[in-house]
Amino acid sequence: MLREPAIATAIVVALVALYAFAGFVGGARKLDAVQPPPAARGDYAITLAFAPERFHEQWLQDRGRVVGVKGSTVFMRDVEPQVLRGIAREYWVTGVVRWSGP
Amino acid sequence: MTAVAGDAGFAQPWGLSRRAARTLKGAAGIVLMLVAWQVSVPLVGMSSYFYPAPLDVWAAFVDLVTKGVLPIYIADSLVRYGVGVGIGAVLGIVFGVAIGMSRRTSLAFSPLFKFLFALVEVAWIPIFVVWFGYGVKTIVLALIYVVFFPVMYNTLLAVRTAPAVLVNAVRSLGGGRVGVMRYVILPSALPGMITGLRLAAGFAFRGLVFGEFIAAKTGVGYLIFEGAQSQQTARSIVGMIVMGLLWLAIDQFYLRPFERATVQRWGLIVDAADRR
Repeated sequence: MLREPAIATAIVVALVALYAFAGFVGGARKLDAVQPPPAARGDYAITLAFAPERFHEQWLQDRGRVVGVKGSTVFMRDVEPQVLRGIAREYWVTGVVRWSGP
Repeated sequence: MTAVAGDAGFAQPWGLSRRAARTLKGAAGIVLMLVAWQVSVPLVGMSSYFYPAPLDVWAAFVDLVTKGVLPIYIADSLVRYGVGVGIGAVLGIVFGVAIGMSRRTSLAFSPLFKFLFALVEVAWIPIFVVWFGYGVKTIVLALIYVVFFPVMYNTLLAVRTAPAVLVNAVRSLGGGRVGVMRYVILPSALPGMITGLRLAAGFAFRGLVFGEFIAAKTGVGYLIFEGAQSQQTARSIVGMIVMGLLWLAIDQFYLRPFERATVQRWGLIVDAADRR
């Protein structure tokens, strides 16, 4: 009788888990470029696959301090390591490198 | 028990199952509408800002997914929707049962709820913004407000129309207020509650859109608003389609099965197809 909700829930959970797993693996790969691994707050250049829109700038602003945008790269200050890992997990973020300022 | 005859006995074209044939017929209507829409675009001769073609809308959808905007907006909207509908439903059921069971509670709350029912949620949102600021709280409150009344009134009606003969039977067997509630009122009111919830869950999308228009910077409702503001009409249409699809999915995979299950278990109607 309630097979449909159970199947739908299982599909949604599986999709979310797959999304999270892909983000976890992809995020770790993107952070390989950050050496040594982030251990404290730092400044980073976040590269997207496209020129950021207002949504992306606001989304990143909520996770650190956006100080500039050049092309498809957003420059951020005071990003915590945990937050950086969250940023790197997003599929539309293509690269993360340490940034030493302008 | 009344049996509702289905069309299970009729042969379907091309040997399809009844369900597949029904889905195909539904899809045919949508495809026809899309073709007519696409063909009408050059005839109308307006820019894509005024009248985007289905292909423009598809391109906008792909763009929103590629840029990660749509998944985050959908997730934000669904969380707000889930919290708002959940709290609104619980409050609606609690007040519906309380008012239905107690004359004093009914006298105390009925006039107030009748008054509040007349005030649409849109009128409250600016006040909620003043009280709670922009963001989740305001949207969730708007959703609670939208969901509360249909659930409450359906529950109230269901409680008041519980079979008196069964109530008396439980009482004559020594059952108290709790016993009557447990063995008669709640089982007989459940179909009414679920019907109210299904009705309210549909209305809740209105509250979500209005709330996100006014008090959010993310969400599918905000996408509809932002698309029109930034002259990206195709994005607005993507938002509208996504919202419609979300409702269809929630209704099809959750609300309808629950309603069917409760009506068949505790209601007065049984589907003939399930009796075979």
